[in-house]
Amino acid sequence: MKPIIEVRQLRKRFKKTLAVDGLDLIVPEGAVMAFLGPNGAGKTTTIKCLLNIHEPDAGAVNVLGIDSRRLGPAEFRQIAYVSENQELPLWMTVRQFLDYCRPMYPNWDAAFATKLMKQFDLPPEGKLKSLSRGMKMKAALLSSLAYRPKLVVLDEPFSGLDPLVRDEFIRGMLELTENEGWTVFVSYHDIEEVERMADRVAILHRGKLQLNESAEDLQSRFRAVEIVLNGEDPQSHAFPESWLNVETAGRLLRFTDSRYAESALNAAMAKHLPTAKHFQAKPMTLREIFVALARTYRLNGLMAQS
Amino acid sequence: MLPFLIQIEDGLPVSDQIIQAVRKAMLTGQLAQGDEFPSVRTLSQELRISPTTAHKVVATLKDAGYLASRPGIGMVVTAPKLPERDDRLDHLQPLCSELLKEAQDLHLNFDDIVTALRQAADDNGFLEPAARSSSLGKKSKS
Repeated sequence: MKPIIEVRQLRKRFKKTLAVDGLDLIVPEGAVMAFLGPNGAGKTTTIKCLLNIHEPDAGAVNVLGIDSRRLGPAEFRQIAYVSENQELPLWMTVRQFLDYCRPMYPNWDAAFATKLMKQFDLPPEGKLKSLSRGMKMKAALLSSLAYRPKLVVLDEPFSGLDPLVRDEFIRGMLELTENEGWTVFVSYHDIEEVERMADRVAILHRGKLQLNESAEDLQSRFRAVEIVLNGEDPQSHAFPESWLNVETAGRLLRFTDSRYAESALNAAMAKHLPTAKHFQAKPMTLREIFVALARTYRLNGLMAQS
Repeated sequence: MLPFLIQIEDGLPVSDQIIQAVRKAMLTGQLAQGDEFPSVRTLSQELRISPTTAHKVVATLKDAGYLASRPGIGMVVTAPKLPERDDRLDHLQPLCSELLKEAQDLHLNFDDIVTALRQAADDNGFLEPAARSSSLGKKSKS
């Protein structure tokens, strides 16, 4: 599949802060990619570089096959962008706002816009400034979906929205599912809302990409493992690097195996914990995997600092 | 709403879970031959899953002969030929392992398990395939 977003060695600095530090990232066409990372990891800066809002200091950024610095109206007609701090013309009503957007997009689908307006329960004659935050976000999403974009970029879209609105938001977006090659790139500090929807996960930490993998591969290689010890002292062992967040409680040794295979785990147990007999390896949700990785990165970050 | 029951559980690939749910719905009669099957868009919206996953589910079911495209209607459920007996037995393996493990923990022997299974069959009104297909008014295929 051809990439719809291709970032090579992107670097962006604001005064003393290196926000993005040599980022490589490929988003294949048709993917729903969750772009995750703690606040301050560089997600928004990356997105602004993708959309030609910021100019990269170094590196190459291609979006829809074009250098991001050369993106123009023809490309922006195929890209939806909704961010946490979306600016809207607050003095307009919902209808006026849509009428205002419409002429900019030759591919505007009025019937689809009407359908979404109903689905989102938006009051056509309501002034944007009088709407709740959730309603404003839905209006912003509607104005971006109505031209059936090829690429939807969402920057922290769920922050401060209640669960019902989040769900409506996701449902509304998935209306576009049948569009050919339709791609979603959504940044969030947590995986929660996008867990089921995402088929790829990228994790950014301190301006660098830590991971870019399909959800399926992640779920097949990660397991929550518990081993019942038989009197050994687990502290005295050097465990494989793929065992993350090793903890003990009583006779129980618990860790996240990031390269799980039953035979490999049996072999590693025979080597490191020869008297332990019993183990249990449970599949993990994307959220559990995300939390395990986030803990690992933080620990590694701390060790690198000290 | 989707015409089959599904409760997505944590940890297992979503596509496998949906395929299982659909196959089960066909076995229990929730989905019958000729019924309309939801579009990729409906699947993705109702289950909040990615379009890729929804596509994959439909393609897998089509390949396995559970779905066929009908112009003007979309996807319809087709009479799935029952898989080979060995494959159907494979299906029971994970449940069997669990049952055996549990029995071992409870210090029960193999005969105890069989007794428990008989008891459960009586309690749940388990029908042998022959009795079952006649009770549903369908001809059994073989």
